[in-house]
Amino acid sequence: MASRPTVTIIGKDGTPSGRYPSYPLRLRLSIRPDIVQQVHTGMAKNKRQPYAVSEKAGHQTSAESWGTGRAVARIPRVSGGGTHRAGQAAFGNMCRSGRMFAPTKIWRKWHIKINQGQKRFATASALAASAVAPLLLARGHQISSVPEVPLVVDSAIFEGGAAAKTANAFAILSAVGASADVIKAKKSKKLRAGKGKMRGRRHRQRRGPLVIYDPEVDGTELVKGTRNLPGVETCSVYALNLLQLAPGGHLGRFIVWTSAAFKALDSIYGTTTTPSELKKDFLLPSNVVSQADLSRLINSSEIQSVLRAPKGGSLTKRSGIQKNPLRNKQKELGQQKAEAGKPPKTPEAFLKVLKED
Amino acid sequence: MASQVSSDLVWEIVRSNNAYLVKRKASGGVQFSRDTLNLTNKHARKWAGFVNDKAIGVVSAEKNGVKVLSKKTSASQQPAKAISETTYSGGKSTRKTYVAVANQAAVNDYRADLRQAAVARASAIRHSYKETKPTPEPKPRGAKAKKAAE
Repeated sequence: MASRPTVTIIGKDGTPSGRYPSYPLRLRLSIRPDIVQQVHTGMAKNKRQPYAVSEKAGHQTSAESWGTGRAVARIPRVSGGGTHRAGQAAFGNMCRSGRMFAPTKIWRKWHIKINQGQKRFATASALAASAVAPLLLARGHQISSVPEVPLVVDSAIFEGGAAAKTANAFAILSAVGASADVIKAKKSKKLRAGKGKMRGRRHRQRRGPLVIYDPEVDGTELVKGTRNLPGVETCSVYALNLLQLAPGGHLGRFIVWTSAAFKALDSIYGTTTTPSELKKDFLLPSNVVSQADLSRLINSSEIQSVLRAPKGGSLTKRSGIQKNPLRNKQKELGQQKAEAGKPPKTPEAFLKVLKED
Repeated sequence: MASQVSSDLVWEIVRSNNAYLVKRKASGGVQFSRDTLNLTNKHARKWAGFVNDKAIGVVSAEKNGVKVLSKKTSASQQPAKAISETTYSGGKSTRKTYVAVANQAAVNDYRADLRQAAVARASAIRHSYKETKPTPEPKPRGAKAKKAAE
């Protein structure tokens, strides 16, 4: 980490066309899944439409309780006669054709206000996580053919509406090694389980790469070119959306940057020391912990120098322990042996007998 | 250059949920991993190959062979180059294969702690190629045997 990290800009046919020295994803350590999850939960709720049951449901009858003494429960009962409905219980949530418990209201608190600082932090965090290959793998993205993470593609490729057609857009994604993730998303399309099918959520499928572009340089043709590619989403670098950067609140979306968009990050987010040009009063969050590598911390000379030497080690020597020769048979035998000295030599006569035929 | 982000941090982010994780309620909630760079398929910090800077994976190869995958620390930001593959053909003797696998894990200060598991996995893969003996026909006994003898 001593050298200043750089990113390769990938040109046509996946060949590198240059390096970008300044690394906008220098926010690399401010990855906070807790904040991203919290902001995501809030943001995901902000697109909801109010729904409620009818105000009148279950109350369109003139039922009255019969009171005590009729050997039936005191629940309100439908008045009148001449039909089966008369005398049936009504209103209660336990009744057939009754009102539901706590009928839903359209004035439920549908939307959540999220502090702007938190939203910006979460977006920065999600961007930082998108530059970490293990986190992309953990989200399930197919990146085994991707030349580099973060994947920055030369804006020259997108010039003049080169990605206006779906086939061309897919060819570009293939050239930079991002097609495996598109194919994975395409193959993942499944019919949804349950009622969601009839509520406009018929299929479910994985998310593919997110293409982030700069509309001023790259134009907006690529939006139309990629919109029929399964799983592929597009987003302007000036309007990043956490719901796309961390779907489901899970960090590590696979992002395909155009070089113009990647360079624009500098002015949009600034650095930890220079404030953002476009966001008022925004300074990138600086890290609380600058070194998060535990093994490096443990093995650092600063920590090793103040540690005591290990005691005992893996084997504890027990030489100092005194054993009682009155009780310990081994000790007793040893003492007897020591007193007896060397064992006597075998008598010659015995050996003779031994070797006799 | 080691990876940009410490693997300790990555592990804390992914340990509760990731694409490789298999959680089952059986046996007190076992947790396994589908990661190819995981030698024991257990969900644990030590075996989580996609998290660690250095990791070994052993998978089966064509013609009864064994393929060893290992991560290059220099290419941690380049997924296309990140994994080196070595194939040991099925013709190579088991002992030589195991020595080679063990060396790949332990030599050059790579991951000596993975050596035993790597060899065990290579061994298991080689064992899986062996054809199982067909179960012998049950011999008739007693009255049936007498009948068959007639």
